[in-house]
Amino acid sequence: MTRIVRITRESVRMMAGNRLRVFIMMLGVAVGVASLTMMICVSKGAYKEVMDIVNRQGPALLQVRPGTDRHTGLPSGSRAVVSLVEEDVNAILQHVGNIHAAAPVKDRKGIEVKHGDKFTLTRIFGIIPEWSEIRDFGPSKGEFISEEDISFAARVCLIGQTVKKNLFGDTEPIGQTIRIKDVPFTVKGELKQKGVSSAGRDRDDRIVIPITTYFKRLFKDIHLSQIVITVEDTSNMDKTVEDVRAVIRERHKIAVGEPDDFAMRTPQDLIDLAYAASRSLINLLTGIVGVSLLVAGIVITNIMLASVSARRNEIGIRRAIGARKNDILSQFMMECIFISLMGGILGTILGFGGSIIISSLKVAASKVTPTALLASIVSCSLIAVVFGIFPAKKAANQSPTNALRA
Amino acid sequence: MGKREEQSMIKIKNIKKTYTKASVSTPVLRGISLSIQRGEYVAIMGTSGTGKSTLMNILGCLDKPTNGQLELDGVNVHGLDDDALSALRNKKIGFVFQQFFLLERTTALDNVLLPLIYAEKYPVDAVKRAKKTLVSVGLEDRMEYLASELSGGEQQRVAIARALINDPDVILADEPTGNLDSKSTNEVLEIFSRLNQEGRTIVVVTHDRAVAEHAQRILELKDGQIINSVANSKLKNSSDH
Repeated sequence: MTRIVRITRESVRMMAGNRLRVFIMMLGVAVGVASLTMMICVSKGAYKEVMDIVNRQGPALLQVRPGTDRHTGLPSGSRAVVSLVEEDVNAILQHVGNIHAAAPVKDRKGIEVKHGDKFTLTRIFGIIPEWSEIRDFGPSKGEFISEEDISFAARVCLIGQTVKKNLFGDTEPIGQTIRIKDVPFTVKGELKQKGVSSAGRDRDDRIVIPITTYFKRLFKDIHLSQIVITVEDTSNMDKTVEDVRAVIRERHKIAVGEPDDFAMRTPQDLIDLAYAASRSLINLLTGIVGVSLLVAGIVITNIMLASVSARRNEIGIRRAIGARKNDILSQFMMECIFISLMGGILGTILGFGGSIIISSLKVAASKVTPTALLASIVSCSLIAVVFGIFPAKKAANQSPTNALRA
Repeated sequence: MGKREEQSMIKIKNIKKTYTKASVSTPVLRGISLSIQRGEYVAIMGTSGTGKSTLMNILGCLDKPTNGQLELDGVNVHGLDDDALSALRNKKIGFVFQQFFLLERTTALDNVLLPLIYAEKYPVDAVKRAKKTLVSVGLEDRMEYLASELSGGEQQRVAIARALINDPDVILADEPTGNLDSKSTNEVLEIFSRLNQEGRTIVVVTHDRAVAEHAQRILELKDGQIINSVANSKLKNSSDH
């Protein structure tokens, strides 16, 4: 048995003899590491959620909205900004390269819709057939809006799953007539189920109708809520964004140096936006985690210091019978390392458990990730070394004669 | 290396020790010279505060003298670093203290094994050796007891076994019977006598003349100096008092 193995065994033996102290120190580390693990899982979860949105929309999606504040990006209807019109879409298609498809969109929320004695408030989208492909939002049953529907401003619609549930329950909606703002529409199909958006909005609570019908029969208006565009080659996204901007600026007769009266959003902007939203939360969490790791370290130092003075005689006798300073240092460091590692393991289990609970309760998105495991191993080792070295040194430097005083 | 003709186990020359606290110097040892032969059994006597324990700590390389030389088995200890001193203590010296200083929540056997943990090489037969040593101090049925479960006399015998495990040249005992009843005192002193007969060098520090009289030579310490060194005439006729 080499010396270090013997000393390690000695360390373990001494810890086994004082389980309460070991347990309390372990708990301190476990709390710190658990919060670290959870923070990483939650921020990874937030990242994953953003990436899911981007992937769902596709990396090729470019959105143009009226107004200047790109970060609010709220659909109009809730806002009086009017700048985009259908001619802008045509101009883009005509003058900008690398465009796969472009579609004008007009939407408004809180519109009353009735079927028989059922009533609901929902969001109405005026769109063209290309929208279905651009937003990957086709029919699950029935047919989508056709070019003919656009030409004739037909009173037809597709309803989302939530609207279907609200208005029809279990009965078959296709072919039925619903009244949107008292205008009768024939249900042509049902939209695919999409679930909840990142903003927490129910994407199934909507009705889509031909954009021409929207403007002619529901609301006398010509201004768009947004233009959605898909580009051919995503690696050229930046250039395409600039081209689109140039075309719209020219059409809107915006002088050089004047700000845009519209805002564009790429998938990258979406990622940035989502990060900006969660950054303050993550900063707060990081602060809490930092504090709890610090507290864990202080617990280690504190209890180890108390332990060193309580074990004065033990240290003295070990020194008397031949322990070197380094042997004492190793023994005490080993205790810190063992305790921290055990605390780290416990904390990681608690942290993973916690983050699984968080995501299953839908408090926040959270993803169990190996990074969290790595971070907890690193942090608990660091705690052991940084906060254990001072008491261990103190133990090692005790003079044997002092330590052997009764 | 020491001189050939001298078989001194311990040799000190003009040892002085002064404690300095807040620029006030308190001399504890004022120049002590003595030589203890291999196989000798020596008692150092004195009332409390005469520097007995300080001398003992210096002999055991636990403390360094302010002045003077210490030779242990021919090796000049002066100038050895802390690690070398630790190794020296481990190999050559067995300590027995008044307060026993066993690890409490540790079995008698593990307590005895303790010095081997810090030995250069861990012997393969460590446990066997420890058990044999415990048997030799009459604790064959106490090996697995925790130190805290043993009586004072038993604890001190465990401490003696611990001092013996590494087969040291010298046993240094500081008031070894100070916390024991008369029965246990006799047991401990009998063990010391037996060890001495087996050729072990033993130095006992005590204030108790009855204890000192088990030794072959008695040194009297007063005010940090040796005032008397006499061969013990009454040796072997009693172990009671």
